[in-house]
Amino acid sequence: MTATIAGVRPPLIPPSTHPYAEVIHRLEAGGSMLPDTPENLQQIIGIYKAYAVPMDFYWRDLLYIAERVFLNPLPAFKYFISQEYLDRPNSYAGENAALRIWRGGEKAHPELLEFMAKGETRAMPKLLHHLWHDRVNMEFAEACMQAMFWHQGMGGRFNDYIAGDTYRANADRAIKAYFKGNLVMLGLYKLFPEMFLEQVRQLSYTANLGLFWEVMAPVFFEMSDLYDEGQLTSVPQAMDFLVNGIFAVAGRPIYHHVFIGGECFEIIPKSEGFTWLYEAALPYVEAVFYRTSPFRGTKSYNSQAQQVPAHQADFHYGILYADVYPVGSAGIPPTLLMQDMVHFLPPYLQELYKQHRRGEEDQLVQLGITFQRSMYNVTSAVIQALRCAVLYPLNDPDPEHLKANRHFFEAQMDRFLRPEARLADIQTQDYR
Amino acid sequence: MDSLILLMLLLLPLAAGVAIPLLPPPLARPAALAMAGAQLAMGLLIALGGKDLSTFVILQSWLPQLGLALDLGLDGVSLPLLLLASALTAMAVLATPVNQERPRFYFSLLLATNLGLVGAFLARNALLFLLAYELILIPTTLLVASFGGAKRAGAAVRFLTYGAASGLTLLAAVLAFVWLQPHDGSGPWTLSFAYGDLAQHALSPGNQRWVMAMLLLAFGLKLPIVPLHGWQPATYSQAPTPVAMLLSGGVSKLGAYGLLRFGLELLPDTWALFSPWIAAVGAISAIYGALNAIAQLDMRRLVAYSSLGHMGMLVLALAAATPLSLQGVVAQMLAHGLIIALLFCVVGMIEAKTGTSAIDELSGLLNPQRGLPFTSALLLLGLMAAAGVPGLAGFVAELLVFEGSWTAFPIPTLVCLVASGLTAVYAVRLFNRVGFGRLNNARADWKSTTWSERLPAMVLSGAVLIAGIWPQALTGLSESTTAALAINTAPSAIAASPLNS
Amino acid sequence: MATILETAAGAGVFSTLLAAVDAAGLRSALESPGPFTVFAPVDDAFAALPPGTVQTLVDNPPQLARILKYHVLSGAYSRSALVGQPEWQSLEGAPIPIRRSEPFEVKNATVVTADIVCDNGVVHVLDRVILPG
Repeated sequence: MTATIAGVRPPLIPPSTHPYAEVIHRLEAGGSMLPDTPENLQQIIGIYKAYAVPMDFYWRDLLYIAERVFLNPLPAFKYFISQEYLDRPNSYAGENAALRIWRGGEKAHPELLEFMAKGETRAMPKLLHHLWHDRVNMEFAEACMQAMFWHQGMGGRFNDYIAGDTYRANADRAIKAYFKGNLVMLGLYKLFPEMFLEQVRQLSYTANLGLFWEVMAPVFFEMSDLYDEGQLTSVPQAMDFLVNGIFAVAGRPIYHHVFIGGECFEIIPKSEGFTWLYEAALPYVEAVFYRTSPFRGTKSYNSQAQQVPAHQADFHYGILYADVYPVGSAGIPPTLLMQDMVHFLPPYLQELYKQHRRGEEDQLVQLGITFQRSMYNVTSAVIQALRCAVLYPLNDPDPEHLKANRHFFEAQMDRFLRPEARLADIQTQDYR
Repeated sequence: MDSLILLMLLLLPLAAGVAIPLLPPPLARPAALAMAGAQLAMGLLIALGGKDLSTFVILQSWLPQLGLALDLGLDGVSLPLLLLASALTAMAVLATPVNQERPRFYFSLLLATNLGLVGAFLARNALLFLLAYELILIPTTLLVASFGGAKRAGAAVRFLTYGAASGLTLLAAVLAFVWLQPHDGSGPWTLSFAYGDLAQHALSPGNQRWVMAMLLLAFGLKLPIVPLHGWQPATYSQAPTPVAMLLSGGVSKLGAYGLLRFGLELLPDTWALFSPWIAAVGAISAIYGALNAIAQLDMRRLVAYSSLGHMGMLVLALAAATPLSLQGVVAQMLAHGLIIALLFCVVGMIEAKTGTSAIDELSGLLNPQRGLPFTSALLLLGLMAAAGVPGLAGFVAELLVFEGSWTAFPIPTLVCLVASGLTAVYAVRLFNRVGFGRLNNARADWKSTTWSERLPAMVLSGAVLIAGIWPQALTGLSESTTAALAINTAPSAIAASPLNS
Repeated sequence: MATILETAAGAGVFSTLLAAVDAAGLRSALESPGPFTVFAPVDDAFAALPPGTVQTLVDNPPQLARILKYHVLSGAYSRSALVGQPEWQSLEGAPIPIRRSEPFEVKNATVVTADIVCDNGVVHVLDRVILPG
């Protein structure tokens, strides 16, 4: 159900009195939390493309780790993805895709391959690239996975399942098969079964995230292509594309298969019925966009002074609340992602950044803010999709229905009332 | 030859100051820089030449009826100050923004200030010194009044008033020096204001005390010291950055130099009499400056009060007048000159980029992406130097000052030590607020500093660092002269090394 | 009377639903005595979903079964019974809210025709597909 711009008839319900009333009215008219300006569109499409290229690596490597590396106790080479996974066809791109979202190829993106070969320095053996850290920052993907793993109460059945007995039995089979013949590890498993089980749970979330991002990469690539062709001309249009994408893939199964010695162990089979929308996308948005966790190693938090919330649901360290200034320390997840994205910026974004603030010097900060804008757009798409799924169309003639929609939007906007939220900042173009 | 060089030291700023208004505006800055550079080079030649400084002398009769003669010379105290003056002038020229308005007017005033400074340091005739001392008031006031900050009018007026009072008092003192001498009525008055002749004065002790009191008042207004400092915070905060550098780094040293030359050298007995009070005033000044600096909300005023505090320590060392403390005086004059110029330079850079010098409005400047990390690092260096952290110039100077004054005036020295500790308080507070913390993105709309903008601060930092690890840079030239000037005998200079001349 | 699925087939507007039931392998379950309450979306309701949604679900029977089970209650309840309770537990596990009684609204769908009694339960016709969450 695509949202339509409201006609010229008078509104059926009085205007909102929420502090973010303007944004709510825009949402009710089918728009996004991000204002519809040509520059906003340019920024978000450019950054979607820059995000999608490393994301292509993330999802492949996440699945590689979840399916192949599995419980390797010393996974020093878990980022050394195999050619099989680089060639693994993206289910939503390429000619043989059942539901083709992107018109491009199904294998790893050529820009990604080029970067993996050369990096920022020059062509070197992979090990040297890895040690020099001249590579895609896979640590960011793992940090996102950790966020999804740690946070509870985000909806979906995934968490309950992996705490249950069926999962335990599946995992047990896989663990025993993986360490067949390894008496030390099997002995450790006997002593500390919960530890191994926890590792498998973490790997299940790794697979979950990999399958989630497998969808998002072609969506972003297609949006970038459409924009380049001139077919995407407004921010609401971009948002609608995302909404349609969310619905189209909503039913995709989420599973965790492990390949041990040529045999496939279904730790989470497809038959459990976990869906992309409920078990992957919505928890991801909640965990990574809203919650995450404070970045360790940059600031001390006094828990007795309640500087960190007591409840997970109150965590507000995600991209939607992010402070633009990574202190420059290594290892802060957004910094890692920004460093990845800076390698794949389309030329029009590079031009844009040269003209503002410190030009090329603080590209990273500028693109970080652009990324924040783009994620507000994605969140708007998720909000609109949720509204579409469980509430009413935007042009519903029934005022009661519209009031229900309004209530929903206001509840969503309430989450941005806290001072750290950047919703007010992204309403102006000055925020760079 | 040597006298020619000496003359050139004065003629350079004079010629340049006259020539610059005739040049096209874009050439003003390079001309001023060239002049300052040449002057500095000559000074260094003299200093490193190793020749006996008494060969550098000019004695040219000018107005014998008034006793005014072109009597120039160098000794161990005036040479380092000469180097300081030319170095600071060069740094001030470099610190001037390239798009300075009315550059010819500005640079000729700057060079006139330099002329006055160099003239005062080179003078061996009290009237010549006085001439330079008074002369310097005009260009500096004009610089503050024409190019200063929003409240420059009031600051300039105050500066002029206090300066004029200082000049008049000094005039009275110098004249009294000669006119109060007993004249036996035979023959015409032979007026001679030469230092050598003044040193053989025959003033009565009572008259000496009057003259000393006037000298203390005049130079106390210049340094300044509490309670004569009313002009200083306003002037230093309203003056444009290069002018503040020159004022605090160079012109204030005129006061100290004057006290050394006229007070200590010419009236040693009276100095010994007054010295407990002078030491007390120095200590009060030091504490006053430090405490006020802690309370400031504006960076420039903070640096101004810091300067006041350090001048207090200088005065203490002057009062003690032991060989070691007098070495400390020269060291402190040089070190303080460099450090305070560095601090004003960096604070000025921050103000130019961010648009404000209010401490409340600044934070997170160390941010590598959008802050001013290089500038903040230099600010840290300057603050550490001001606080007396070993390895930097401030430590050398303060060590000499405290060690030298301890035997003469233990209590004031202790008070100054406390003040020195307090400098660390405001240094840390300032840097904590301004450097660390989160940068305000809404305000962070500036380009990063270019290398040419950073150059004066870098040179000054380098000098501060070098002086910190090679103290000879501060004391080498002046050891013998200061030893000769000392009243009290202990402590004497630290064990003579083969390097001492 | 006919069973739920026979009634649906006869009505002629549930071809998508019936195809989905077959694809999800729920035919035998819905032919059993039950009784069930089925909220049946019409073909237009499925068509109104964004393109590709139904196709993805049809390609993945377990996931499709989950969505379909969300439209079924265990036990046969007429409209008057349903409006008596604000929420009902679906077979899928997630609750189905009854948002209004006049007009009769089940979650964000309006019941076009209510109380179609069959052998093994009651069918209420919806104008939208309802989704958990």
